[in-house]
Amino acid sequence: MTLVTINKEEWAGGLAAAADSYRLFGPVKKKEYHQFEELEKGESPDLNMVNTRLSPKALLFPQSEEMLEYSLDEKREDHHIMKEVAKDYTQRAVVGIRPCDAKAIQLVKLNFDTPQLKDPYWVRPYEATTFIGFACDTPLSTCFCTTAGCGPYNAEGLDILVMQRDEDFLAKILTPKGKAFADIAGWNRSTPEEAEAFVAGKEAAEARIASSVNTENLAGTELLDLHGASFWDDIAFACLNCGTCTFSCPTCWCFDIQDEVHGTDGVRTKNWDSCMFPIFTVHTTGHNPRNTKTQRVRQRFMHKLKYFVDKYQAGIMCVGCGRCVRQCPVNIDIRRVCEMMNSFNPADACTTQE
Amino acid sequence: MIGYTEKMQDIAGRLLKDCTVEMVIGFRKGSMPMMNEPCFVTNADDIPSLIWDSNCGINLANYLTNRKEKIAVFAKGCDSRNIVNHIIENKIKRDQVHIIGVPCTGMIDKRKIAAMVEGEILEVSETDSTVKVKTADAETLFDKKEVLQQNCALCFHRNPVIHDEMVAEPVAEQTDIDRYADIRKIEDMDNEEKWQFFEDLLSPCIRCYACRNACPLCYCPTCFVDESKPQWVGKGQDPIDVRTFHFLRAYHCAGRCTDCGACERACPVGINMRLLTRKLEKDCQEQFGWEAGLSLDQRPALDVYQVNDPGTFIK
Amino acid sequence: MELMGVERDRLHMSWVSSAEATKFIDVVTQVTEAVRALGPNTHFVKQQAKVA
Repeated sequence: MTLVTINKEEWAGGLAAAADSYRLFGPVKKKEYHQFEELEKGESPDLNMVNTRLSPKALLFPQSEEMLEYSLDEKREDHHIMKEVAKDYTQRAVVGIRPCDAKAIQLVKLNFDTPQLKDPYWVRPYEATTFIGFACDTPLSTCFCTTAGCGPYNAEGLDILVMQRDEDFLAKILTPKGKAFADIAGWNRSTPEEAEAFVAGKEAAEARIASSVNTENLAGTELLDLHGASFWDDIAFACLNCGTCTFSCPTCWCFDIQDEVHGTDGVRTKNWDSCMFPIFTVHTTGHNPRNTKTQRVRQRFMHKLKYFVDKYQAGIMCVGCGRCVRQCPVNIDIRRVCEMMNSFNPADACTTQE
Repeated sequence: MIGYTEKMQDIAGRLLKDCTVEMVIGFRKGSMPMMNEPCFVTNADDIPSLIWDSNCGINLANYLTNRKEKIAVFAKGCDSRNIVNHIIENKIKRDQVHIIGVPCTGMIDKRKIAAMVEGEILEVSETDSTVKVKTADAETLFDKKEVLQQNCALCFHRNPVIHDEMVAEPVAEQTDIDRYADIRKIEDMDNEEKWQFFEDLLSPCIRCYACRNACPLCYCPTCFVDESKPQWVGKGQDPIDVRTFHFLRAYHCAGRCTDCGACERACPVGINMRLLTRKLEKDCQEQFGWEAGLSLDQRPALDVYQVNDPGTFIK
Repeated sequence: MELMGVERDRLHMSWVSSAEATKFIDVVTQVTEAVRALGPNTHFVKQQAKVA
């Protein structure tokens, strides 16, 4: 791990040099919000943001993506053959991802990249990506990353972690991928004496995190007791069962596969799906095991705060980015739900469930 | 609307105590500035959580469909018209719902306010005519009229049209409002401009369906966009599919929409899809003289055939 | 549809009974001419999903 200092010219010059061998992605300002997009030649990531409205998960997992295609048109040589859609997985770099979102990618990786199964649509772009993260010095009041398994200077999932200062940048090169990028960008002015400044920045940023959740009891509480708790109707009532929380969440990963046929050509696509949608669990028979709102809302919070905890022992399936809290149209707050789940006393619960 | 909270808590308390209703649907304070959370109250302990202020823009009539209990619900002017609509459309029986009318002076637009200040908004407080907004660095005072939701600024029906009791005396209705100035501006554009206008308007859409789900009118067991055997509309981000969703949903609301604004308020990316619903509302007004949800005794204009229905477009 | 930019003359409505053959011919001719005059439609056309 090397600590380098980069001044403003070296930063801009480095990105320009890297743009020759990497596709660069970064936060871009759209009217009143920011979004991760591919940067044009010479375009810099807009670092004047706390975080983007939607998470950068779309860079590895686009909202709508073609998977397979075929054509029945016999004039084509490849007619009647279903094949993968050609994709551009040339190396790319994301510049300006926050540590919470980078940690989220590692949580999602637990799902898409396992010894038994690798989802090629996620794994291939992931392996092609170098993640250059920006430490977070001005969190929002809704950020609770430090109690959600990461923090404003957390390095998990990052290849380079950059701290912004008034006049320059301090960057920790964390991995071989990060080093490869830094070499091409010419960011090699090693300054180990700045290590303390980095630590000081980290501590100051962590102290600014004003919101928190308590999760220490989640693993130890009996799953079926939590499932049968009486507070779910109250939590679920306001929910509109829209996809806002799911789509803005960097750790949500569900998708739906749909086929579209146009004349002789067809394509299989995958789109983001949400367990909040009423038809999420509809079976081919028409039976829907989660056909009430309460069941769906309960499932979402149980997944994030209990099932994932039990299955992976990697903490909660939430990084405290606060997007769902800020964007939920009816203000259902995961922090409040977590508190209710964490302080739940099974002795109060009914022994029978519906 | 200051003072409504206490009155509402009293009313709710009385209704539950007398067992006039089994549940009261209202709002409780949210965890974010300018947000309240719809909630239900079934026992006296929870009554103190009920509140009312200018952030109660979500339409509570949305929570009435398919419920079996006897319910009391707080309804503003627009919400009450949606309840009339629900009764006419057989989604709820009149005697199942005890309507507590709330004369409304308008809801504030959190996005508009956020755009008018710098930095994260930490706290918002209000009086009858002002809204005070606190960020880390500053405090700004707004005239409530400047920061109303657009549908409230253009509202003609602030007082409930149907109620079993009222929280307060009726408020004065607004006059001299031109509801359709922005629609006419679009109508005056040429075709390519119109197409591009809606392309830009709908480009942030993420198909989350918050607009549809917040809408009391959208209660189909299977929405047209959810059909998949066969698929009616593509479910992805293709711009034509996104446009088709909004376009068709507006059509399904034609002659029924009360412009409560819940759709625009719920949208996480701030799309003003009310431009589509209000165009159809304008057409219903101009061609049929029809406004949705004003009376239990009239069938909606698009429900009945009258001999003098507009017909000049038929060849 | 017109508000969204589809030309007014692309959509026509007429009541024609199967017994009104002459009217049918007239209407079809009129509509065909009106639409043809506008050229191929470019709005609300989806050939294939424009996605990633």
